[in-house]
Amino acid sequence: MARGGRIAGLLLGASLCSAAALGAQAPGVGDAAPVVSVHDLDGQPVDLGQWIGKTPVFLEFWATWCTSCQALEPAVRAAREAYGAKVEFIGINITVGDPRDSVRAWVARHDPPYRVLYDDEGESQRAYDVAATSYVVIIDRAGKIVYTGTGGSQSFGTVLGRVTANQ
Amino acid sequence: MRARIILGSLAALAAASPALAQDPAPAPMGPATAIVVSGPEVGVAAPDFTAPWADKAGIGSGEEPFSLKALKGQVVVLAFYPRDFTSGCTAEMRTFADRYDAMFGGAVLVGISVDSLETHVRFAESLGLPFKLLSDPKQRIAAKYGAKGDGYNRRVVYVIGKDGKVAWREMQFNATDPKGYDRLQAAIASARGTS
Repeated sequence: MARGGRIAGLLLGASLCSAAALGAQAPGVGDAAPVVSVHDLDGQPVDLGQWIGKTPVFLEFWATWCTSCQALEPAVRAAREAYGAKVEFIGINITVGDPRDSVRAWVARHDPPYRVLYDDEGESQRAYDVAATSYVVIIDRAGKIVYTGTGGSQSFGTVLGRVTANQ
Repeated sequence: MRARIILGSLAALAAASPALAQDPAPAPMGPATAIVVSGPEVGVAAPDFTAPWADKAGIGSGEEPFSLKALKGQVVVLAFYPRDFTSGCTAEMRTFADRYDAMFGGAVLVGISVDSLETHVRFAESLGLPFKLLSDPKQRIAAKYGAKGDGYNRRVVYVIGKDGKVAWREMQFNATDPKGYDRLQAAIASARGTS
């Protein structure tokens, strides 16, 4: 499922355009993936730059309470089994409504199919303009975003096959 | 680059302009996203309204709708959001519930979406929300506050001061950013005169 967005029209001439104040720039498909630093579950800083631009990256923003994330997990697990040797799978817990200890316990019980990180500063949420949990971003080896999507029903095979071709 | 363009105080456009409703129904991404920002700015009197409400205990009495004017003298937080049971809205509402005492103590919080009262009851019950949810299916309230999206409310939060004027607002509240909740909490404390 492609991530939402649309052009709000009715820009009534140049006068309105000139009144516009440019707000935040949110990265989408074709843009360079923001390289930010988050934390692991022990509070240690983790620089996403150690993967972005060096290897394909699968990035999901998730929470333990997120039912869409739970619905999506089988697809993520299958994708990791198929492409985990060539793609770095990362799940960034958004920390909203998810205390660190609860996340740690949940991870121990569920063994999620990605490296679990924890962004209590919200750096990645702001950088990627994450509107909801289950938001997935796939980044190619060059560090360019090639897929974004939200929800419990997403398909990654085609795009992961593309970004891992010729590796 | 998906750009968000914010146009200030274009109330005349608010009703006609589609805006982002990312949470319930992501649409194919275009090259740009423009969001028309209108609604009362800080320092302006908050538009009055009444609306039917529900909470985790059930649907409120139709004879006693929520009334903003009736709450003058109290700090009121209006949280417009896209839809019940969607992941962004769940993140937002459950965080409000988790932090309710620290964040909203002494203030009145209401969530506002297009959902029916029956859906609100189920949503509030599922998350144990300790506050009311208002039903605004025709987005009449959202239009007054610049929160009207294309069939869904945009995620917008207002803090209304004791004097009935807008004390703070966030026209692009990010439900997944923990710092956004900190800013809101500080704004409520300031409006209550406790910061």
